[in-house]
Amino acid sequence: MGLLSNKDVAYLRDLFEKELEKSVRLVFFKSEDPARCQYCEITEQVLSELVGIDSRLTLEVHDFDREKDLVAKYAVEMVPALVLESEEGKDYGIRFYGVPSGHEFGTLIQDIITVSKGTPQLSSETLKKLEKLERPVRISVFVTPTCPYCPRAVLTAHNMAVASDKIVAEMIEANEFWELSERFGVSSVPHIVVNRDPDKFFVGAYPEREFVEEVLRLAEG
Amino acid sequence: MFFEVDVPKRFEIKDRYDIVVIGGGPAGLTAAIYARRAGLSVLVVEKTLEGGYVNFTHLVENYPGFPKIKGEELASRFKEHAESFGAEFVNAEAIKLEVKADKKIVELDNGKKVEAPVVIVATGANPKRLNVPGEKEFFGRGVSYCATCDGYLFSGKDIVIVGGGDSACDEAMFLVNLVNRITMVQLLETLTAAKVLQDRVLSHPKIEVIYNSTVKEIRGKEKVEEVLVENVKTGERKVLKTDGVFIFIGLNPNSKLVEGLVEIDPYGYIVTDENMETSVKGLYAIGDVRRKNLRQIVTAVADGAIAVEHAAKHYF
Ligand SMILES: Cc1cc2nc3c(=O)[nH]c(=O)nc-3n(C[C@H](O)[C@H](O)[C@H](O)COP(=O)(O)OP(=O)(O)OC[C@H]3O[C@@H](n4cnc5c(N)ncnc54)[C@H](O)[C@@H]3O)c2cc1C
Repeated sequence: MGLLSNKDVAYLRDLFEKELEKSVRLVFFKSEDPARCQYCEITEQVLSELVGIDSRLTLEVHDFDREKDLVAKYAVEMVPALVLESEEGKDYGIRFYGVPSGHEFGTLIQDIITVSKGTPQLSSETLKKLEKLERPVRISVFVTPTCPYCPRAVLTAHNMAVASDKIVAEMIEANEFWELSERFGVSSVPHIVVNRDPDKFFVGAYPEREFVEEVLRLAEG
Repeated sequence: MFFEVDVPKRFEIKDRYDIVVIGGGPAGLTAAIYARRAGLSVLVVEKTLEGGYVNFTHLVENYPGFPKIKGEELASRFKEHAESFGAEFVNAEAIKLEVKADKKIVELDNGKKVEAPVVIVATGANPKRLNVPGEKEFFGRGVSYCATCDGYLFSGKDIVIVGGGDSACDEAMFLVNLVNRITMVQLLETLTAAKVLQDRVLSHPKIEVIYNSTVKEIRGKEKVEEVLVENVKTGERKVLKTDGVFIFIGLNPNSKLVEGLVEIDPYGYIVTDENMETSVKGLYAIGDVRRKNLRQIVTAVADGAIAVEHAAKHYF
């Protein structure tokens, strides 16, 4: 039995058929040591089921402990980690740390479509604001798989990364990386941290404009 | 572990619709369904997530046809239903409503303006804040208003729930499966939830209820560590160690948008007639934001149907 039901697979096949343009590479980092990565196996399984649905999707699996060069290239910090790369090999700065399960699976699907099209789904006002960015910005969105409000926060952050080469945006599953969550004092999700500064954060579901403004405000301060 | 495959769709919105619904909770989504059934074009403006407060509810046990359904699931079914009938959606906040002779203009926070002869306000209500020291500072650091969102982050910990009504008891029964201990702080001398719910809470070995009391202060260093509880009858105060504070003490209606436009009662609820129409023709209010006796999903959806039925007859 697969993790994805036949119905889900049929739905996704249809969706990808309609929406995908160019191919997308899922670059996945895992650890062979189950003690270091309880969820690596299940993540790999669901990703391989996913790429099996459409020939434009490919999965590349890397060993986090051994392939140091690649770990450095993608600046991956922990496992399981997932990076999405475009057909041209462009890394937009989209990161998933933890199993993209629950509602975040939908986020991953949406992200794949966005990378495949190569155009961020953001308003023109937002794009204008992002053009002005001078320094790099890192957005970390802490989520739980059961939080219905979280995907919009992750999607906005990931789309900002697609829109701007200066932005890296990561989804972090708070339960899986509880030590990190503890360090950032995460107790309500979505909890959004800017530039990994524990004092630069906001919590809750914001519409696009406010989300972008809050990130930019914290990044400047 | 589950894998949700559904992805939020995006629409290019038009400048004009027959009906614009502000707020995509059960009330607004039902209005959209009825509008489509009446052959009218409809845009639902939702700032966070369609389904509204139902997304926050762990289990719904009083919506006919579903003896037990997860709030989230019911919410997404409402949304899918409206979507399948051709309702359009935009993820934005309505920040201004202007009423002209025969049209209304809704201004969105993304700068867009949408025009319609009929506007339906379905903005619901937000959880009330306690307004005590520490509440704002520790929001996201142990203070929460959403059990389904944040409950898992308190696994094995001790929490305090403020409130004793339906929501508080409902969410207590959800949280109790995750946390170590719950202390409920209730202002009145009894719980006010439905009888069956009260019984479940009161007979649970991991839940203790403190009556006639309220939380006066939330304290801690980096995050919540303790609360100051005061007995409102005796004035007696004590400090409770806790890892989190969940607050379910009622609602504040989101009626700001129509302040000065229509009649609003002293509590902030919009006053309508029995057709859900406000004092302004073609401007309706439905669901939790409206003055009424029972704020539930069933009554919210009923309001939506009544409003559109009336509007369709009178304005199109
Ligand atoms: C913890 C809890 C448990 C509950 N349990 C139950 C239960 O078991 N059974 C039951 O029947 N009822 C229950 N209720 C009550 C029920 O959730 C509400 O009665 C119902 O959701 C009201 O629907 P609504 O559409 O009027 O408003 P809401 O559900 O509040 O939806 C309003 C929507 O409008 C949006 N909005 C607000 N302002 C704007 C704006 N300016 N622009 C754009 N969008 C905006 C909001 O984001 C929100 O999504 C519960 C409530 C709570 C808080």
